[in-house]
Amino acid sequence: MALPLPTGLVPTEVAFLCEMEMVTIVPRQRLESITLLSGKTPALRPPHRAELPLWLALLLKKQRRANIVPPPWLLPASLQDLVNQETNIDPEAFSPPPPPPMRSDGYGAAHSYTQHSTNPADVVLAPPFLPSCTQGAPSGYLPYHWLEMAETLLAHAADDIPGAADARALLRDLQEVRAAKMRGSTRHLEGGGGVLNLRGVGAMELAESRGFVLGIVDGVRKLGASVEASRREEEEEEREGGGGGGDSDDEMEF
Amino acid sequence: MSYYDVDAILTDSEKVPCKFELEIAQLGYLDNDPAQPLKTGTTVGLPLWLAELLALANRAPSSSDEDAKSFVSLNLPPALSNEVMSALKADPRAVPLRDQSHNFYGLGTRMLDLFEEAEICAILRKTFVTRAADIALHARKAGGAEDLGAIAGEDFVRGMEEWERLLFKNAHDGVKGTKAWMEGVKKH
Amino acid sequence: MDIDDILREVDPTFDFVPGETRDLQALTRAWVAERSAPELLDWPPDGLFERINDRIKQQIERVEEMTGDMDPKTNFALIVIQTELERFKYLVRSYLRARIAKIDKHTLHYLSSPALRARLSETEQAYATRHQALLHNHYLSSFLSSFPQSLQNLNDQAGNISMIDTPDLETAVFIRLLTDTLVEGRGTDSDGGMDGKIGDIVILRWSDAKPLVDSGRAEVI
Repeated sequence: MALPLPTGLVPTEVAFLCEMEMVTIVPRQRLESITLLSGKTPALRPPHRAELPLWLALLLKKQRRANIVPPPWLLPASLQDLVNQETNIDPEAFSPPPPPPMRSDGYGAAHSYTQHSTNPADVVLAPPFLPSCTQGAPSGYLPYHWLEMAETLLAHAADDIPGAADARALLRDLQEVRAAKMRGSTRHLEGGGGVLNLRGVGAMELAESRGFVLGIVDGVRKLGASVEASRREEEEEEREGGGGGGDSDDEMEF
Repeated sequence: MSYYDVDAILTDSEKVPCKFELEIAQLGYLDNDPAQPLKTGTTVGLPLWLAELLALANRAPSSSDEDAKSFVSLNLPPALSNEVMSALKADPRAVPLRDQSHNFYGLGTRMLDLFEEAEICAILRKTFVTRAADIALHARKAGGAEDLGAIAGEDFVRGMEEWERLLFKNAHDGVKGTKAWMEGVKKH
Repeated sequence: MDIDDILREVDPTFDFVPGETRDLQALTRAWVAERSAPELLDWPPDGLFERINDRIKQQIERVEEMTGDMDPKTNFALIVIQTELERFKYLVRSYLRARIAKIDKHTLHYLSSPALRARLSETEQAYATRHQALLHNHYLSSFLSSFPQSLQNLNDQAGNISMIDTPDLETAVFIRLLTDTLVEGRGTDSDGGMDGKIGDIVILRWSDAKPLVDSGRAEVI
């Protein structure tokens, strides 16, 4: 009854999440709007493109009712740029995530999609609800669900992706170089720094190394528990003793 | 720590050297001399749960803290001796931690609770992090091998203590899960 | 495509995130958070679950009606509806099972104070007390009753160590920042801090991350 899985999403759950990402499709047959639990699907009128969640796009593709438009970042030229970025330009950190899409407010100002202007109390959008795999997504940036999106599209819609074979090879390269960065990120954790930034990491990559990386962080914390407690006691005494030097905030960046 | 955690319970049973600060009748058998009482100054290996109790308990509860004398005084177990620490400083990867203690890091944590040993703490942390990198490599290489027995031939893997075995399992499960998903993605 | 539809898509004032989609997003976020956080989180407010459960029930009825009507045109729509229904049910089930796993692991802890009990739904509270009673009675009839009376409790807190297991709130988690904000986390040799930008993915202790997550400035992933 209780879920036997460890804390943190496992790869199959990450893939499930990825299937909620919106993608662009080119319908081949008309289809009326369907009322689903999550809202109405757009009516499909070939040849007008439409945006649907991946799981539905895959269903349509399997039935030959639509073709999927590969997101611009998945094309070989973009992937080549990314391999270059990851290997040569910045061999330490992951390549940056895509900037959030912008929307016009009709009065000349551009607002970030994540800031829903008509309702400031609204929940901030984030993957998989932030469109980053549609035809309008910027090329040269890997979105959060890049790995599972790419693998799924190559498996089920390879004919819709120009240069699919090249794309596959480049994706392997990207995986390798980024996996090495993931492993390397734990090399200097013995100081037990409070904050570790992994900007740009992908969902599947997280799921793969989660148990390991968090295990190291927790292990270092436990080993250093008494040293840390003593340090805090000393700082507390200094503070009470007469406002000595304040806390020093070390910047710990990846 | 969790009340029911098996590793914590096992760590509690690790022996630590205790020097008796007083003479106790009829305990001479602990020093292989059943006829004699246990003399002051004898060092005996006692399990941690007992050693901690005896070391922290005040012999004369009515006296003030400064005069407090304990029944035993603790020393660091051989697993955390200077020799081991020097070996770890030289090359953390070459020391088979499991031979020192199955619960090496667990024991270390408990001892660091009882003794102020910032240097040992630093050495242990560095050791942990450095060896972790090797653990990741072995976990990836392990590929299809399900249990540790299959790769037990490797010296490093054989020398991993309990915390490291858990790390290994986590790393291995992660790689296995991802690979399984990638292979299964075709059959939707 | 209707001209109205096209205009509506571009209308900057158009509320393009309908309520049902918002509910799906909230449910998904709740699921990811519950799967990733080391302790039980609050039951979702605003009747989110009750709403979703009702809609699922209605949809199941609708599917049964549609299955009778074997018109080929509605057939594909039926497949789509059923697929989505299964996805929703998976989310709901996984969410509830994740919570039950946490309750099972630290039952006495979550029942120990009104504040913690408030995190459980009514059904979960009933489950927790009954499960605990069943377990304790089983232990009593198996071996506990042969212990001295004073040792038969499972919630003893005398001495150094408490019998009630609590989740480790210092364990490390991954979070994603939803807005530019200062991130501070405690560490061993020194405490850390950084100016986080929206989209940053950061590792820090759950106790340091919790205020960020509760205020909506970050989410657990």
